[in-house]
Amino acid sequence: MTVRRYARQAAALIVAVGTLAACAKGSITKNNDAGGATTTLHYFTFSAAPDHLKDLDKIVQAFEAQNPKIKVTVESAPFADYFTKLQTAFAGGTAPDTFELDYQDFVSYSSSGSLLDLSGPAGKDGSYQSSVYEPTSLSAFQAAGKQYAMPESFSTVVLLYNKKLFDAAGVAYPTADWTWADESAAAAKLTGKGVFGDYQPVSFFEFYKALDQAGGSFFNADKTKATFNSPAGVKAAQWLLSKPGITMPTLAQIGGTPDYDTNLFKTNKLAMWHNGIWQFATLKDKSDWDVVVEPGDTQKASAVFQNAVAASKTTTHPDASWKWLKFLTSSTVMAQTRVDTSWELPPLADAGVLKNYLAQSPPANRQAVFDSLKAQALTPVIAQQQKMQDILDKAFQGASKGTDLQKLLDDTAAKVDALLK
Amino acid sequence: MRSPLPRRLGWYLLFGTGAALMLFPFLWSVASSFEPAGSVLDKPRLIPRHPSLDGYRTFLSALPFWRLLANSMGLALCSTVLQLVTSSMAAYAFARLEFPGRRVIFGIYLATMMMPLQVLVVPLFVEMKQFDLVDTYAAVLAPTIASAFGVFLLRQAIVAVPRELDEAAVMDGAGHLRIFATVILPLIRPALATFAVFAFMASWNSFLWPLVIIRSPEFMTLPLGLSNLHGQYTTEWNVVMAGTVLSVLPIILLYLAAQKYVVQSTALTGLK
Repeated sequence: MTVRRYARQAAALIVAVGTLAACAKGSITKNNDAGGATTTLHYFTFSAAPDHLKDLDKIVQAFEAQNPKIKVTVESAPFADYFTKLQTAFAGGTAPDTFELDYQDFVSYSSSGSLLDLSGPAGKDGSYQSSVYEPTSLSAFQAAGKQYAMPESFSTVVLLYNKKLFDAAGVAYPTADWTWADESAAAAKLTGKGVFGDYQPVSFFEFYKALDQAGGSFFNADKTKATFNSPAGVKAAQWLLSKPGITMPTLAQIGGTPDYDTNLFKTNKLAMWHNGIWQFATLKDKSDWDVVVEPGDTQKASAVFQNAVAASKTTTHPDASWKWLKFLTSSTVMAQTRVDTSWELPPLADAGVLKNYLAQSPPANRQAVFDSLKAQALTPVIAQQQKMQDILDKAFQGASKGTDLQKLLDDTAAKVDALLK
Repeated sequence: MRSPLPRRLGWYLLFGTGAALMLFPFLWSVASSFEPAGSVLDKPRLIPRHPSLDGYRTFLSALPFWRLLANSMGLALCSTVLQLVTSSMAAYAFARLEFPGRRVIFGIYLATMMMPLQVLVVPLFVEMKQFDLVDTYAAVLAPTIASAFGVFLLRQAIVAVPRELDEAAVMDGAGHLRIFATVILPLIRPALATFAVFAFMASWNSFLWPLVIIRSPEFMTLPLGLSNLHGQYTTEWNVVMAGTVLSVLPIILLYLAAQKYVVQSTALTGLK
């Protein structure tokens, strides 16, 4: 009997203590304003977790040292859950002052009118120079002539190549001037004896980029109609489908094997590889490889994945928010910290601040990473993004070199048009 | 009478295969948690080629594991105790008290079970904001204090207790509280235990509500901590698996202790 009484008392105690502790606010939400002179800014991020929270702390500390009257509290959530939290916070009226957005979500948040136009506070800031940012990155985060977010970090897709295989086949290394024709010719010579010349997935993400390289556009100007079934679109689809089973493995061979392409490239069985700069870390122990900006057709265009930082329209501290966003995206401390910790790079116009990054090798030609920023193929974004991507991916999965591509693209465009209504 | 050997072997084989299929994902996560960084996605392997504790080391240094564990444990215990109290009392009222509209109210109770949490998140969040409870333990607990499922489960159990026992207690001068505490509660102990296991597991695994309402890192629960291990582009699976294994351990211990009731509950409710 006594045991049970103890158990009951313990339970009562837990509940009592729990209830007492339960209503206390956490470090992020309790009122930190000491005496009113200090402004507390709330910053919500996904890119710092899991590996760079301490690095972000360093940037925050440097900012607070420079701006003693502003305190920044950081809240972090993983990318997969970040937007659930952000949306609830907006709906519940507790939007963070400043927060991070990837490009696709930037489009939806800016078009729903949730973001502060930063041109206002930036105009009052005498020390602000827009020229420190890569112009194409800065303009990617403008809508209707207003600067709704500041570009914070990026990854691009480049052409990785295996020098040894080029030497063995007697083919000259790719250059920044290469076009699709050069790539095709080289791929044909490099393929054989268990080596594949080229590797580029056939997917939505590759298609909109190839379309841009061929001079086409995905939508018409006011985004009411899909226009990728143009001659440029057919050319882009032809380009992508000219590879599988010829200069690259068939889609069936690739199948669902994870890291199939990575392993091919690592084991010197792949000469050219269209992939992102995040592969640099994977390949750091491999020698004899380098990168160039992806070849274009009528023009250059590279796929760029960018994160930006924005302020909510409802923030009560627009000027402090601007100061923080500016520091977070352009300060030397930030650039240095990012390079030192192999965090994603900031899209700054003057790569000089990033010279430690450029000095690293492999790959030797890291300048190509910044050059690829100069002509960006922006992801086409609509409200039903996932459905659109699935429609295109599915269309390409069923296609091969012999498919009537005009008809395929006409049908696909009609399906995408239906999503726009 | 025992069935002949070949047939028995057949059954063993069938059930053994079924059990192995069920067990595989879990064994795989245990095995993956001992893989060194970077080699998890090669191929599913039940015995790591180069066993290493990297995953566990990274996990323990990346997250304040003990704090997360204490948060999860504290919230799960509080939530369970509170639910047992509220649900058993409500169940008693529905099972034993005659009051107008009893059936309708009970029906409405049950109807709330149809409402998925996703629909309620924003209204609940706004409500918590009105009470100034966003980012507190109280806000995590509040929506779990009353459980329609618990009321339903315990009401079924109380209805099964013969009314004659109550009546005998009434003859002895007992009021509702005394009948509830000394007659009914001891008799529905199996149902209480069953519900306790359910409530504990629900709180232990809950993700969406804590994700939305908790903002400060020191209030994070284990599932929130685990999700923080996923990056925007890549995930270190050995670390995630190490964390998963560590966070499943308490539930396994609870299960071993309350195995009898869990099996019973599954049989009683057809849920798991």
